[in-house]
Amino acid sequence: MNVHKRIAIYGKGGIGKSSTASNVAAACADEGYKVMIIGCDPKSDSSITLLGGKRIPTILDLLRDGVDVKEEDVVFKGYKGVQCVEVGGPEPGIGCAGRGIIVAIQTLKKISRSLNEMDLIIYDVPGDIVCGGFVAPIRKGLVKEAYVLTSGEYMPLYAANNICRGLAKINTPLSGIICNSRSVSREEEIVTKFAAEIGSELMAFIPKEQIVQDCERDGFSVMEKAPDSNVAQVYRKLARTIMERDSSVMPEALDDDRLRELTK
Amino acid sequence: MDNKNISIIHPRPSSIVAALYTLRDLNVDVAILHGPPGCSFKHARLLEEDGIHVVTTALDESGFVFGGHDALVNILHKVNDMFHPKLIGVVGTCASMIIGEEMREPVMEANLDVPVIEVEVHAGYRNNTKGVLFALESALDAGIIDREEFSRQQHLLEEATNVELRHGAASKEYLAPSRGDVKYKVAQRIIELLKEGKRGITIMNAKKETGYMFADITLAVNEVAEKLGKADNIINMSNTDVGLGLPRVRHHAECIMKDFEEKGLNVHEIIGGLDEYPVAGATIDKLIEEKYSDYDFAVISGVPHAIPMDHLAGMEIISVTNGPRQVLPLKELGHEHVLVEIDLHPKTLGVNHIVESEFGATLREVAKESL
Repeated sequence: MNVHKRIAIYGKGGIGKSSTASNVAAACADEGYKVMIIGCDPKSDSSITLLGGKRIPTILDLLRDGVDVKEEDVVFKGYKGVQCVEVGGPEPGIGCAGRGIIVAIQTLKKISRSLNEMDLIIYDVPGDIVCGGFVAPIRKGLVKEAYVLTSGEYMPLYAANNICRGLAKINTPLSGIICNSRSVSREEEIVTKFAAEIGSELMAFIPKEQIVQDCERDGFSVMEKAPDSNVAQVYRKLARTIMERDSSVMPEALDDDRLRELTK
Repeated sequence: MDNKNISIIHPRPSSIVAALYTLRDLNVDVAILHGPPGCSFKHARLLEEDGIHVVTTALDESGFVFGGHDALVNILHKVNDMFHPKLIGVVGTCASMIIGEEMREPVMEANLDVPVIEVEVHAGYRNNTKGVLFALESALDAGIIDREEFSRQQHLLEEATNVELRHGAASKEYLAPSRGDVKYKVAQRIIELLKEGKRGITIMNAKKETGYMFADITLAVNEVAEKLGKADNIINMSNTDVGLGLPRVRHHAECIMKDFEEKGLNVHEIIGGLDEYPVAGATIDKLIEEKYSDYDFAVISGVPHAIPMDHLAGMEIISVTNGPRQVLPLKELGHEHVLVEIDLHPKTLGVNHIVESEFGATLREVAKESL
């Protein structure tokens, strides 16, 4: 095997990056890949469904306590051996989350040997690309390609478009658009069109199904708790697509007028 | 005013440091730098020589990520216990301001029985006088100074900024530091002028405590003139009005005037307070026009670039500055000889008497040889 996929998943806050990331991680682990997931969201919710609902100490929690951090302190094996890391962050309104990501990524690079042994590393990046700190995984060379998650609604598409602009700026190719459905009208058509117009394509259309929520509430991925469900098949297919995909583009963001027209 | 919007690429005084110095002039006992331990180290140490305690919250990587609220509360308690201050200042830094630190809340939480002046400042301002202004605004809010003094200071700051933009450190994109002319040669030239019977004006237009050393230039010129029997050829001007400025600044003026008196030096013209160096130029210019326009030379110390050339133009000008980047602008203004008193600041902090200057010492020595 020995692939070296290093991907980041971007998208508007609350659009479902973490559940998509953890289900893709679980699906790839099912296929026998060595997978690591690095959650950059201060709520630490990227890995929780891979660990049976348990929270792990974050890199920044330990740094705050002045711990001389070792790999075993922050890298935890979850479902089918998926290595889980959480960056953590400050409380809302104080400190600097962007700086936090920079410090955590530097620490992880220094202490983790298994980083280099992974077939797939998924960075679950918080929200939009908003400051230097949030692109640290890319700038520090740990991410080679990006996926953008959106629904067919206007605001997530607006964010997705902005992210594409950001990716082009930091010279990071886009490997594809993923639609996490919110069951709005003509959703697949709109997102397919959006993907094509920025020069990319739609990788997967994840239907809105209650089972995803139910599994999440129990603290598990769909892959673990409902492997035979319809949506599990979708994640499995997406996981294969990601692992096999070898083309990517420098996205060309749309102007605001075109974006609005698209969603009408 | 020549309001060029140039981007200045040489390092300049920082607004954080300017805020610290202002707190010193407001007589705080302790200044707390809220930020990394290395921030403003050199000036913090100098200010400690000047009798105030400067401490830091010493924010590290963890502090940058998680904020420094607790660190600031802790240090407020600590300095209160250690130093029993009557007035405390807290100064922001680039690091703490970029991460959005709030300083009011920790001060409230610490709930000390001592007034605290908080200055939210970083070093990213085009004009470093912003640091002074922010400190004064906070002092006004805290009731440490009144509205009248605040307005006076605000006006002086605007003028100080204009002076720097016109012919000072902010006048060019890049100014190479320079040590200026050789002091020995300039000393010889002054002696020559005096021997020829030329008449000269000494103008001390100094900024606050730097006056302790610039006053020595005035003393030295007068001593040498006296030895040469030309004492009457010299007119002295200095910005040492004892009634103007923040408390500490007035005190400096008193000390300098006392030393002048003890040495038997006559200040013919008081041209303003020790904080009025940016505006004294107009007074000086008028005095020269009315009374001294036929003088042959001028020895200007302190902030020579704040003085207009209108009525100085016919004189041979010897100017003494402590800014190594000030040499070129002064030469361009038409000052024949420009001297730099390097290390002036470290030597003038924490003193209350006139401090010997390198040029003063040189002039005295050269005079001995030529007598």
